[in-house]
Amino acid sequence: MLGDIATLVLQGTMISAVYALIAIGFTMIFGVGGTLNLAHGALIMSGAYVFGVLAQSTHPVVAFPVTIGVVALFSWGLYQILVRWVEENVVITFLATVIVAVAATEVILIQFGSSPLGMTLVSGAVNLEPYGINARPRTVQFLGFVISWIAIGLLWYYITKTDDGRSILAASMSERGAQLTGVDLHSVRSKTWLIAGALAGAAGIILGSTGGATPLMWLNPLALAFMIVVIGGIGSIKGSVVAAYVIGFLEQFTVTFVGHGFRGILSLVVLVIFLLFMPQGLYGREFAHD
Amino acid sequence: MANEDNNNLKSDRFGNGSVDRRTFLGAASAGAVATTLAGCLGGGGSDGLAIGHLAPMSNPLGIGSKRTVDMAVEELNEDGGFNGEEAEVITKDTRTDPSEAQNVTEELIQQEDVDLLIGTFNSETTQSILDLTAEFDVPFMITGSADPGLITEYAGSDYEQYKNVFRIGPINSDFQAESIADYCAHLNDRHGWNRVAFLRDQADWTEPFGDQIPDLLSERDLEVVYQDALSIEGTDFGPVMSDVNESNADFVLRFFAHIDGGDMLTRWHEGQYEFGIEGVHVPGMLPSYNGPSAYNGAATYETTSQSGAAGVAPITDRTQPFVDDYASRYQDADSAPIRAPMYMGFNTYDGVHVFKEVVDSLETTNTRDNLDDFVGEMLDVDFTGVAGQVSFYGEDSDYPHDVREERGEDGTITNYPMTQWVGPEEIECVYPDQHRTADHQMPPWMQ
Repeated sequence: MLGDIATLVLQGTMISAVYALIAIGFTMIFGVGGTLNLAHGALIMSGAYVFGVLAQSTHPVVAFPVTIGVVALFSWGLYQILVRWVEENVVITFLATVIVAVAATEVILIQFGSSPLGMTLVSGAVNLEPYGINARPRTVQFLGFVISWIAIGLLWYYITKTDDGRSILAASMSERGAQLTGVDLHSVRSKTWLIAGALAGAAGIILGSTGGATPLMWLNPLALAFMIVVIGGIGSIKGSVVAAYVIGFLEQFTVTFVGHGFRGILSLVVLVIFLLFMPQGLYGREFAHD
Repeated sequence: MANEDNNNLKSDRFGNGSVDRRTFLGAASAGAVATTLAGCLGGGGSDGLAIGHLAPMSNPLGIGSKRTVDMAVEELNEDGGFNGEEAEVITKDTRTDPSEAQNVTEELIQQEDVDLLIGTFNSETTQSILDLTAEFDVPFMITGSADPGLITEYAGSDYEQYKNVFRIGPINSDFQAESIADYCAHLNDRHGWNRVAFLRDQADWTEPFGDQIPDLLSERDLEVVYQDALSIEGTDFGPVMSDVNESNADFVLRFFAHIDGGDMLTRWHEGQYEFGIEGVHVPGMLPSYNGPSAYNGAATYETTSQSGAAGVAPITDRTQPFVDDYASRYQDADSAPIRAPMYMGFNTYDGVHVFKEVVDSLETTNTRDNLDDFVGEMLDVDFTGVAGQVSFYGEDSDYPHDVREERGEDGTITNYPMTQWVGPEEIECVYPDQHRTADHQMPPWMQ
């Protein structure tokens, strides 16, 4: 029994770290600009494909930062070319980003076909059975966990300790207040998209290295990001991290005690409960909206 | 391939759609009668012979099938044609979407006036066009879907209405279940593997396996020690592998078409889990699946059953020349599959050849106006194809117009061969005896 719980905790921790990485960028963009970026999943997918292609010719140590840079630029470009012109209208932004996501699927299908593209960030696995834990996690999962927490740490430092970052926090609390204190909203939003893109790129690399890249791989991460953001509180980074762990552990709990086919059910039930009784989410009051 | 994940949802839509379609069909068939009359007045047949090919064209299965239908028609046109006529192939993309499949099928039937429809991959898509093909009396050869219900719930329950539908291959899931159970017994003989972890997609196509496999295995003295259906909306294989490992299974028997087992296979290799991975894995049938651009050796030692045995075994005298010809034509193609088509391509190629035999005997290519004679000729077919011998069950059987299974002397099914990856680009046929090119290998870390 103790071993079962240890296994559950280990596997829950690993998957939740990736979920956090998936959701934070989505949360930030919503928190700062009020924009629901439905192309967030497509950015994650582009991370997987860019890394998959680069890793075939270069060492992963090189391919990893390059991919993050490229996806950050994709995200920034998406904001500059499309979103900034329509962001005042929620519905149009919603539609425009959906179209980007669907178009991305078509581009991938034309370029790579529907068969999976495999990639290796790092190979190997650790057998934990001698320590009473029934799992042989892959090294790439440990790395995913580490990358997730480094990213969260850096982001936390940037947002709370630097002027640049504090302007993002200010904008997400109150746009009018931020403007009154001299914050350039456009530049804040651009930076937010750049950071969200970098995080999406990292998430894409981890997802691609664990399960391969496919043209519809963006759907699940996007749905997850939605759930996490609702449960965590829309716009709250801390809430997203906590909610990612809530969802990850709920899924793990369900597959351990109910069955693998019911993986997402409990999380959906929790989502409905939150929507009905706590629509502001766990940390929804962190930001005051004007 | 993940595209198929939505099939269950979309099959609901099919339910609603079929009501609308009936209304539509009433009007459309009146139009068709008028067109046929006009055809008679105008002399008819002058448009030439057209074969409509239906497949998901973003899926390598569909691409392979398109290439083989083109190959077969080109060969046969050069070799005297179909009852002397040259055929033209019109391929339409069904996108594994039932409503899209209905649209393109209507187009093929009404605008292109096709004399044969061939193809279709996932069962939900195939099912969505059966009414349409039956209404217009168009011969329809299924070459990619294995659901027994496509026969039993249609030709099996209203023969007159659905007699235009034949399945060229693969053998239906009921026979597949029996064949795979025999294969598991073979693994037990060879390696002493008798504890089975049974996993499947949580999807329609695996239901017959879910119903039958546990009993079939227990009849063969094998024990199912773990079983579960996995969500096709995304599965984390970490806990799955832990559960299988804890059950002390000798091998996993898995049925994956929607789920890509790549994550499972990578964990299997890296974690060196002490069980085999056997059964059916549709994504793993792609000839480049285990290569450097995909899972790079992670699939080595997994097996999957597939019609045509990936072209590695001389199933009939025609198999090897067919695969060589395919490879020489497409080895430099941009899109997979390049070395051999996947299973659907083998069946589609055989279907076109069967069609030629039938229209030659029928002495007309006007199949839609001579459907009864066409059906009669089809039931007399005993054709040696590239995936095996093709003949069909008759009206009074449990599976009217379904392809017959072939059986060896000991009674086991032989036309559902099992292949094993033995290297990044090397595949061997490991079952049945008749087609074996190498013995089944246990992963080295288990020896």
